[in-house]
Amino acid sequence: MNVTITNQDNKTLVVLDGRLDTSNADQFQQDIAPLMEGDKPDIDIDCTAMSYTSSQGLRLFLMLQKSVMARGGKMVMRNMNPQVKEVFDITGFSNIITII
Amino acid sequence: MKLDMHCEMILDEYRERLPLFERIKNLILERLRTCLDENHIIVAGLEARIKTEKSLTGKLELKGYKYHTLDDITDILGARIITFFSDEVDIISALVEKMFDIDWDNSVDKRKMLEIDRFGYMSLHYICRIPPSMCSDPAAPELNQIRFEIQMRSTLQHVWANMQHDMGYKTDVEIPVEYQRNMSRLAGMLELADEQFSRIRKEIIDYRRNVQSLVASGNFDEVPLNGDTFRSYCELNPFKRLVDKMATINQAEIYDDSLMPYYNVLIHMNMKTIGDIERMRIECSDGAYQLALIQLAGTGLDIIANSVALQNICIVQILKQGFGEAGLVRLFAGLYGETPYNAQRAHRIFEQAQKINLVNCESI
Repeated sequence: MNVTITNQDNKTLVVLDGRLDTSNADQFQQDIAPLMEGDKPDIDIDCTAMSYTSSQGLRLFLMLQKSVMARGGKMVMRNMNPQVKEVFDITGFSNIITII
Repeated sequence: MKLDMHCEMILDEYRERLPLFERIKNLILERLRTCLDENHIIVAGLEARIKTEKSLTGKLELKGYKYHTLDDITDILGARIITFFSDEVDIISALVEKMFDIDWDNSVDKRKMLEIDRFGYMSLHYICRIPPSMCSDPAAPELNQIRFEIQMRSTLQHVWANMQHDMGYKTDVEIPVEYQRNMSRLAGMLELADEQFSRIRKEIIDYRRNVQSLVASGNFDEVPLNGDTFRSYCELNPFKRLVDKMATINQAEIYDDSLMPYYNVLIHMNMKTIGDIERMRIECSDGAYQLALIQLAGTGLDIIANSVALQNICIVQILKQGFGEAGLVRLFAGLYGETPYNAQRAHRIFEQAQKINLVNCESI
């Protein structure tokens, strides 16, 4: 999966492209590690080109959101395709993570 | 007016001791703050001040003859704790007594000084010292000798005292009787209000305890649904069995999340009592599990939020009652706000539910 991270104004934009599963979860964790610290915690994740997420992906999104919230910020995931959104829905993660 | 030599000596002593007063002020503020935090007491205000040189000069001008040394003036350093409720003053005073050495001969409980037919300043003033067990410094033995005042009063007592001070009520100028009487009437009203606030708070606490005990005893039909009762109900983990069963589908880890976002949804579903939720839980749990089975089996998703049980129960209830896709869209809007996903999700779940006969075709 390709992860593009850019800073815009006071928040970080993350663009995800491809599948997030066992094969690349470790790499994704390394990619987002810098987002777990710093004084500009707001994160906007664009999922337009994300085709799937596994449980590992859910755990990492949860970990990222906890870190963001602990620093008083907000994390938002947007533009999920129906397949990805269904993973969040059937696991109850739509109740936990802000999806718009 | 020029001070006499005796008063000038007291003033010099004050200037020398200022750094020590500052040190004690910071110490008592820090210790009081920590103590209040440890005892989970939230106060309306905690403040401390050192009397200014100008204010001390004024005091010495008026009654400097009363003081032999600076040590005789006990309000050079003062702290004030303002509580929300008048009955909390006693709790805080007990904590202050434990923390500091109290000079009982010079401490005053103004609440007990008023005649039965008088209304006015009600505050508790303790004259204290730092006990060596809290802090000592061989280079500054005065640290444990200097006395300071801690005032404790409720917010309304504080309001009255400030108003009185602001209006110059306690000056040497004689205030006409009618104004004195009006201030007394106001003090009486605030005293009554203070008492009422404490009484109302106690009644709310009693109500919550009563509701918690009704919920714990299982008398759900007697418990009206509100934020407090729903929270107490959730503490019983009523959906745990269903969540555990859902988790076995993929041997999933369960992530504990708050169910409170469902409170408004349940209100919109016309639930009036905790008993209504309990009935829904019993009647819809099988369907909720069947729905989870069709959704999760074979996906390999091995983490679920505990809210998924109540989520599926609500879905099944809505479909059983014949509210169809439109009912599901309303449910999701209540949980996540109006988003384009809601209709897609409702449609998908409606199709899944039809396959396992969860849908009441007699649409309302």
